[in-house]
Amino acid sequence: MLNVFGRGFDSRRLHHESSKDVKDRVQNQERTSRFLLFSIALLFFFSFSSLQNPPVLKSSAVDSPQLSQERSLREKKIVIIDPGHGGLETGAKGKFGTEEKNVTLAISQKLKAIIERNLAFRVVLTRDKDIDVSLDSRAAIANNNRADVFISIHINGSYRKEARGAETFFLSMNATDEEARRLAYLENSSAEFEEGILEDNQDEIQMILWDMAQAAYLKQSSQLAEFIQKELNLLQGTANRGIKQAPFKVLMGVACPAVLVEVAFISNPDEEKKLGTAEFQQSAAQAIYRGLVNYIKASAQD
Amino acid sequence: MDTKKVLILVSLFVLLVVLVVLFFNRGGEEKIKQGPDAASQPIDVEPGEDVKLKKITLFFPSEGDSLLHPEEREIVVSSSLVKEAKRTILALLEGSKNGYLSPFPPETRLREVYFTNEGIAYVDFSREIQDKHISGSTAEMATVFSVVNSLTYNFKPIKRVFILIEGGEKETLGGHINLSRPFLPKYDLIAE
Repeated sequence: MLNVFGRGFDSRRLHHESSKDVKDRVQNQERTSRFLLFSIALLFFFSFSSLQNPPVLKSSAVDSPQLSQERSLREKKIVIIDPGHGGLETGAKGKFGTEEKNVTLAISQKLKAIIERNLAFRVVLTRDKDIDVSLDSRAAIANNNRADVFISIHINGSYRKEARGAETFFLSMNATDEEARRLAYLENSSAEFEEGILEDNQDEIQMILWDMAQAAYLKQSSQLAEFIQKELNLLQGTANRGIKQAPFKVLMGVACPAVLVEVAFISNPDEEKKLGTAEFQQSAAQAIYRGLVNYIKASAQD
Repeated sequence: MDTKKVLILVSLFVLLVVLVVLFFNRGGEEKIKQGPDAASQPIDVEPGEDVKLKKITLFFPSEGDSLLHPEEREIVVSSSLVKEAKRTILALLEGSKNGYLSPFPPETRLREVYFTNEGIAYVDFSREIQDKHISGSTAEMATVFSVVNSLTYNFKPIKRVFILIEGGEKETLGGHINLSRPFLPKYDLIAE
């Protein structure tokens, strides 16, 4: 962020201080360097897309919407599934002793299997056993794998015994006006997030950027949340429940569309019993899968 | 024989702790009896203080829906914003008188409230708010925004609220809502 601001500041000062000649030269230089940057970016883009797409797909010249939808499903997207909690951090606990961390892992593994069976996507779990994984490293795993979609699986808990059904969240930035201005700037320069970082990066400025990486993807995240919530509503008969927004720590640093799914309430004894069964876990995973597929199809149309 | 000795030692120690606590808190915690309402008065009213009451609104979760419900309460007026904010949070910790739910583990204590010029109130809770929290996104949001809304709604100068635990900044209460930034109020959680 600093270096970009720095560059803008410098050139403004130059404009201000110099004569018309110098001004023209500076403008020329700026134009050339902009052109150079653009061509390098293009080069990068094409070399990348040729790396990631299977060669078969590149032959088709013009796409009907139908075709491009199917194509988007065959492209090798990278999906990160994040089983909430783990290790010493058990998450919410039910009356009968069901622990959130175990249910989230079971549903995540089932979701991974369904995706891999049906689509040519690469699926990465942020944990595949009962271990502690910090919230920051979960986001870092997504970013270092250049994720296309991040889905965090959780089980809800409430002070109300009656609370039931699924809730799908995306991030609310909880930002002041000043911060909102900075975030708007980030939204226009999300390319910076495509570089990948080390999980133990110490550079503070980088960290500030990463801390708000999700800001650039809020719109897509809300769409993904809509599609998933719709399927979970169908599954659990909670017809009109909409998506929600909250400042979730785990979503903040994720540099791709990201949602947090609360599958059901472990604090509700009926739902706790359901959550413990493989059948319900499987149908919840299937519902999330359908939401994901619908999202990818819809975003291919845009 | 040994167990007797230990028992005596333990009771002596407990007595000592109680005496020390009583000695140091005497100034701050002297209660003023104020008619029938006295029981619900905040405990930090000082002897010389003028006892005037003012109405505030607290926000509690309910058994019926997932919203926060307003409940009026009276606190003792103070010239200090921090003191009034502290009384508000103490009243919130005491719980609802209308049968709403408490969004805090019962052992939770308020340690301190601070206020900075940027309009941020820092509310410092004891460790139980985290250690004994039932966890879950909905439960964490109820805890956080009952505190945040109860302060921003009643005190104009408080624009944002930072939740501290045992004097320090913590990541989350139970793995969900981010505590490492100050919260803006979330009035869409309030029931009509």
